[in-house]
Amino acid sequence: MTALVRMSAGLIVWAVTFCVLYGLHGVGCTAGWPSTPLTGWIDLHRAILAAAWLAGIAAGVAVVLAFRAPRPTLIARTGWRLAWVGLIATMATGLPILVLPACL
Amino acid sequence: MKALRLHREMDAIWRTEPGWRGALRSVNHSDMGKRFIVAAFVFFSIGGVLAMLIRAQLATPHSAFVGPEVYNQLFTMHGSIMMFLFAIPMFEGLAMYLLPKMLGARDMAYPRLSALGWWCYLFGGTILIVAMLAGVAPDAGWFLYPPLSGKQWTPGINSDVWLLGITFVEVSAMCAAIEIAVSILKLRAAGMRLDRMPLFAWYLLATAGMMIFGFPPLILGSILLEVERAFGWPFYTPALGGSPLLWQHLFWLFGHPEVYIIFLPAAGAVSTILPVMARTRILGYGALVAAVMAMAFLSFGLWVHHMFTTGIPHMALGFFSAASTMVAIPTAVQIFAWLGTLWSGRPQLKLPMLYLIGFFIVFVLGGLTGVMLAVVPFDAQAHDTAFVTAHLHYVLVGGFVFPMLAAAYYWLPHFTGRGRVMRLGEAAFWLIFVGFNLTFFMMHLTGLLGMPRRIDTYSADMGWTWLNLLSSVGSFVMAFGFALFAIDVGLQIWLGRRYRRNPWQAGTLEWAMLTPAPSYNFASLPTVASRDPVADTPDLCVRLARGEGWLGEARHGWRETLAVDMVTGEPEHIAILPHNSWLPIAMAATLGGFFLAMLAGLYVVAPLFLIGVAAIGWHWGWTQGRRDDVGTVPAAGDRCLPTAYEASGTTGWWGSIFALIASATLFTSLLFGYAFLWTVAPNWPPPDVISPTWWQPMLALAGAGAALAAMRRDAAAPALALAGQVALLAALVGLLAFALPAPTTHAYAATSAAVAAYALFHVGIAVLMLAFLRARIRAGYVGGARRNEPRIVRLWNDHAAGAGVVAMLVLAIPGWLA
Repeated sequence: MTALVRMSAGLIVWAVTFCVLYGLHGVGCTAGWPSTPLTGWIDLHRAILAAAWLAGIAAGVAVVLAFRAPRPTLIARTGWRLAWVGLIATMATGLPILVLPACL
Repeated sequence: MKALRLHREMDAIWRTEPGWRGALRSVNHSDMGKRFIVAAFVFFSIGGVLAMLIRAQLATPHSAFVGPEVYNQLFTMHGSIMMFLFAIPMFEGLAMYLLPKMLGARDMAYPRLSALGWWCYLFGGTILIVAMLAGVAPDAGWFLYPPLSGKQWTPGINSDVWLLGITFVEVSAMCAAIEIAVSILKLRAAGMRLDRMPLFAWYLLATAGMMIFGFPPLILGSILLEVERAFGWPFYTPALGGSPLLWQHLFWLFGHPEVYIIFLPAAGAVSTILPVMARTRILGYGALVAAVMAMAFLSFGLWVHHMFTTGIPHMALGFFSAASTMVAIPTAVQIFAWLGTLWSGRPQLKLPMLYLIGFFIVFVLGGLTGVMLAVVPFDAQAHDTAFVTAHLHYVLVGGFVFPMLAAAYYWLPHFTGRGRVMRLGEAAFWLIFVGFNLTFFMMHLTGLLGMPRRIDTYSADMGWTWLNLLSSVGSFVMAFGFALFAIDVGLQIWLGRRYRRNPWQAGTLEWAMLTPAPSYNFASLPTVASRDPVADTPDLCVRLARGEGWLGEARHGWRETLAVDMVTGEPEHIAILPHNSWLPIAMAATLGGFFLAMLAGLYVVAPLFLIGVAAIGWHWGWTQGRRDDVGTVPAAGDRCLPTAYEASGTTGWWGSIFALIASATLFTSLLFGYAFLWTVAPNWPPPDVISPTWWQPMLALAGAGAALAAMRRDAAAPALALAGQVALLAALVGLLAFALPAPTTHAYAATSAAVAAYALFHVGIAVLMLAFLRARIRAGYVGGARRNEPRIVRLWNDHAAGAGVVAMLVLAIPGWLA
């Protein structure tokens, strides 16, 4: 079972990042974080979301690096593939933070 | 002669009794699989007739064929039957029948649970069909959105029929999910490492995992809606702090993964059949495994794309839109792997291949319209139009029905041991393929012309008349195709000639046995050294029949199969499975009594049935186990293994782990609902929150701590843990009785009471299990090397303690802050 969970580590990072982003987005809109400007077009809400997104990407990179060792078994090779899938999915999921209005 | 003697001895242990007794008591996986498949096809036929009635109504403008009340029931029942009573049970049946045979085992991990699932499915489905015949079928759409499905707008029992009937059927689905996961992970042939597993098993493993995480939100949503309707707890009523959007979240948290839950088993069948038809081996086994796992995860990030037009902010929609488009990539990986397999092989256009070609064409078209709908601006235009209906039918019929038809023709010789009689299957294919595309391609166009879903009539000047008429003609052509398929299958079952074993020259283990399959599958269990063991060892069937594999001896009346290490497939112990029993049908009937009492509004009577369920559950557990140690027993040659009575990491332990994961998912969904209402719903903060209280949280912490510590110190001495759980129970009851406001006053109070009720339920189960363990220890079932039951009870004890503490803190904090 541990092997299967390890194999899915990249996707688990994506899933956690996804939940955190969606949760923080809802909380931020309710708490009025977008009305606290920080600098330029960046407000408190966007900054917190971007930080969470970058943390997710960093975790995804860490998983990819953890799988870079020689990959003798199919389970390890699949884990390496899924680490990349998780990292790319995490990067793509957070892109709306850069371009879309937060609470409209 | 040895093979014949072994066959007789094994069959005497494993066979189903003749007559009604066998029909009611059987727990055999082949029986259960066949029953699920036949019943699912019967429900499919009923759902198909409803579809024809829908198309008859829409064939012409201003049709007076049925009125809107009946029409609402028609489309609601069509969707509900096809999703809950056809698609899921159909693949469950196929999995139950095939998995042990493909994995080199003699049965599923929990045969009595299979039978319980079967009876729950049958009884739950029957409730829905009887309600339809009585004219009180659900009529609020297959996703039963409140407020339409609430008491105010549906005052009759129509919605209750859906909520209770479908939840009853979901008991079956959860049983199947846990059983499939544990069977794949633990009950395989010796040497069948994870990377030697048939792809069908990988697909089913991912599906079972998705069901374990995907079904609990719907079960929770259904319980909350039924409680709102029955007792007035306002989870979904905005005036009292509830939100209909909470239902949509909970429903689609299940509903979108559900699409992949249906597709993946069918894709597993494709991955099994296609290389055989192409006379080669599958291309990209590893890439397919990765794609399946990726789909299993990514499909949980899609649910809001069913809610794009509900007013959710754009950025949040963007998260879900990104995931919705990304999931097309692992799907495409599979499509290209299948195409590559065809390219690298020498494909034969046999009948299963014909249906696979139909699958390719229809499913790819459905996938492409899916990508269109994943894009928010397009979805805003096409939402709730016939375009969406067309898309979902292309995906589900293309992605499930066509592969299942291919699977039917591929594995029918295995079920029957007979060959085809006439070439009706080809004619059936063309009728279904042409009829399907005529029906649903037109619906893309009517949808783009603005025709909404679920309307019972339309005016001639809308410009939809000819397209609708063609759709209706197409649906009847398709229906003739399915009728021809049913006739073809019937002819093969009753008139087909005895046929050679393994007619397709396939390499997977299900063909290494007599056909139709004997009750015990394999007289002895194989050792596997590759992904295509039958192709590598052509005389494997004969060797196994002679008892030259593992467990090739009938002894003590035990139903034995091999339990292995999850990753390496190294044999660990011998699982001893239960015999035929009255318990599954008795349990299902008692559960049915509970659901019917709820449906009839007999809320005082309903708990009595739950007491009955607990009593039967107690007896269920009691009938297993031994009062003495067996030690190791011969398994193959000189190799001896312990039995499950004296092993760790047994199927019972793993089943508990998966059941608790499912339960924790339901609890997490409930906490999500609590947080969602608090942050998003109107009319918050609530007028009245919990009274500031300390004694209940303190008592709960002390009780939970005692229960955890006691079981950690010595799980075989449960008295202190029992006392701890009772203290936790008292704390939760105290909170509900003295601190929380009345649940009918506000959604806050209702969700708080629901959180407390979840914890109470689990603490109650833990109390029962600890009392059971005490009784078992006194009766001598626990002792010596037999330590499995304390390990399992400890899992439930720890979960209840954790849930109790979390619930207590979540509930008490608002009072402290206030």
